[in-house]
Amino acid sequence: MAFHDLPIQKKLMRASLLISGVVLLVTCTTFFTYEFIKSRQEMKEKLETLGKIVSANSTAALVFDNPKDANEILSALKLEPRIEGACLYTKNGVLFAQYSDSLRPVVFPNQPGQQGYTFSSSSLEGFQPILLGDKKLGTLFIRTNLADIYNRFRLYLIITLSVVAVSFFLAYLLSDILQKNISIPILSLAETARAISEHQDYSARARKYNKDEVGVLIDAFNQMLVKIQEQNQILSEFNTNLEEKVKIRTSELETSNKELESFSYSVSHDLRAPIRAINGYGAILEKNHFQQLDEEGKKFLAIIVREAGRMGQLIDDLLAFARLGKKEVQKKPVDVTALANEAADDLLKLNEENFKPRITVNDLAPALCDPVLVRQVLINLLSNAIKFSHNNEHALIEIGSFEEPGIVTYYVKDNGVGFDMRYYNKLFGVFQRLHSYEEFSGTGIGLAIVHRIVTRHGGQVRAEGKVNEGAVFYFSLAN
Amino acid sequence: MQILKKIAFWRMIIVLLTGSASLSAQTPVAVEYQLKAAFLFNFTKFVEWPADVYSSDQDPFVIGILGGNPFGSFLEDVAAGEKVNGHPLVISYFKNTNEIKRCQILFINKTGQYNVSDILSDLKGKSVLTVGDTPDFLKLGGMVRFFINASNKVQLQLNPDIAKTVRLQISSKLLRLTEIYTQK
Repeated sequence: MAFHDLPIQKKLMRASLLISGVVLLVTCTTFFTYEFIKSRQEMKEKLETLGKIVSANSTAALVFDNPKDANEILSALKLEPRIEGACLYTKNGVLFAQYSDSLRPVVFPNQPGQQGYTFSSSSLEGFQPILLGDKKLGTLFIRTNLADIYNRFRLYLIITLSVVAVSFFLAYLLSDILQKNISIPILSLAETARAISEHQDYSARARKYNKDEVGVLIDAFNQMLVKIQEQNQILSEFNTNLEEKVKIRTSELETSNKELESFSYSVSHDLRAPIRAINGYGAILEKNHFQQLDEEGKKFLAIIVREAGRMGQLIDDLLAFARLGKKEVQKKPVDVTALANEAADDLLKLNEENFKPRITVNDLAPALCDPVLVRQVLINLLSNAIKFSHNNEHALIEIGSFEEPGIVTYYVKDNGVGFDMRYYNKLFGVFQRLHSYEEFSGTGIGLAIVHRIVTRHGGQVRAEGKVNEGAVFYFSLAN
Repeated sequence: MQILKKIAFWRMIIVLLTGSASLSAQTPVAVEYQLKAAFLFNFTKFVEWPADVYSSDQDPFVIGILGGNPFGSFLEDVAAGEKVNGHPLVISYFKNTNEIKRCQILFINKTGQYNVSDILSDLKGKSVLTVGDTPDFLKLGGMVRFFINASNKVQLQLNPDIAKTVRLQISSKLLRLTEIYTQK
């Protein structure tokens, strides 16, 4: 897990351990390195000094050609147990005298090397000139063993590492204790927030531990909770009131709607009787007393009879529309193709004139619907199509469908007079007409019925049209 | 001068340090005296003379050779350009005892037919390091004697007591190397 995604407790622990670890390591490494370099330096200086003493003492032996004495001088080095060996070379590089620790015999270089001291893995050795005044008489080679120094440093290293380990462990314990001071209030706050969001219980409160920034945060959090609780209270009260109001309003609306429906039904129903009377007596007048009327009277009578008939049709349609609101939709799988063919045949039979448009019924997808109502929809749309194609000698009407998941959309397309899309919103209204009665007969309720039936099926209706270029009516049903 | 001095020094060192090995390569006597010349020169570094042996700062430090020069030019070469405590080093050759003037080191050649004991008693009280190579040189009152030891090396015998009486300080380093002679 990336560091920034770690729980805060682990984050704090890791941060403090990392810091203390780095500090410890840097400190110890610095001290150790300093000590190491310093003691090597000291060792070198010491050996150099020893070399100078030996060199100073050996001048006479070299000058007066006395290797025995030189050997004696060198053998004094055995008092310094670290010295493994030393030797003297003459001015021209010949080995003149030597001393070697009996336990660790030294193989001396054949020739004196470069002046200066060098460290090897276990020893320090070097060459230095033997001078008398400013004259070089020869060279001293001396080697000291560093095993004990290195052993001491190994011990130092072990102690240092132990100290680091112990300190690190103590740092771990301390940071574990100290981080709780920071992490516990935060964790408790986080836990409270989680519980609140899970149970939606805004009455819960976070506990405050300290008066630090986290304490301030917790105070603010609790105050926010108080505010939320208050607002929730107001909101729920408001909500309850609203629901009640809606309920009252709905029942009021329902009541008035019912009243309105029964009113329109009874009005239509009651209007039928007088219209029948007018129709009836009109017909009798036409039959029995037609000859007694003068030309003008005949003309007026014809108007009365026609208009009374139209009035009757209007009332019938209105009643049918009103009944539609009461009728229940009974859905079942329906073969819409058969339904459409039937409707088309019926309409063509009924069409008294010699005008016969061509009606093409494609293979239509089946739908889940009330067959009686959907038949009505098809009849209304087809009769509209026939009616508004009247002027077209090559009238062509097409019924088709296309499917989308869960929905099947049917369309009835004609190449009749079409309509102006500007009046689209009037298309499906009750008694809304886009053409005059004289031009195209009808009560203006057919599309309103289509709209109501499809809507009650849970479907949608729409139309596209252009003046003199035909129209397409779509309706969708569940399949 | 500088080059000459260097050559001389190198020659001295070679002779000094290769020692007996090269003795057979040249005439034995010559090599022996080359060594002795080097030793004579080196005495200037391990012996301290009292300040009053010089009358002025410009006074030379004199190594006197009495009775023939066995060193050829070798001693001259070694001493060329050298200074002892700031005093130029000079080699003087004396034919007979009358010529001995002021000097700091006097080498009495065994080839010289002199009464060594007379010379030494003449020098008594003077800060002169007397050097010789006759077997009885110390017995007669000399201070330093060259001799050839069993392994054919030139060695030193020294009587520090006498040197002390004429205020010559011999370095302990030198004393360590020498056989100390004591008057029986």
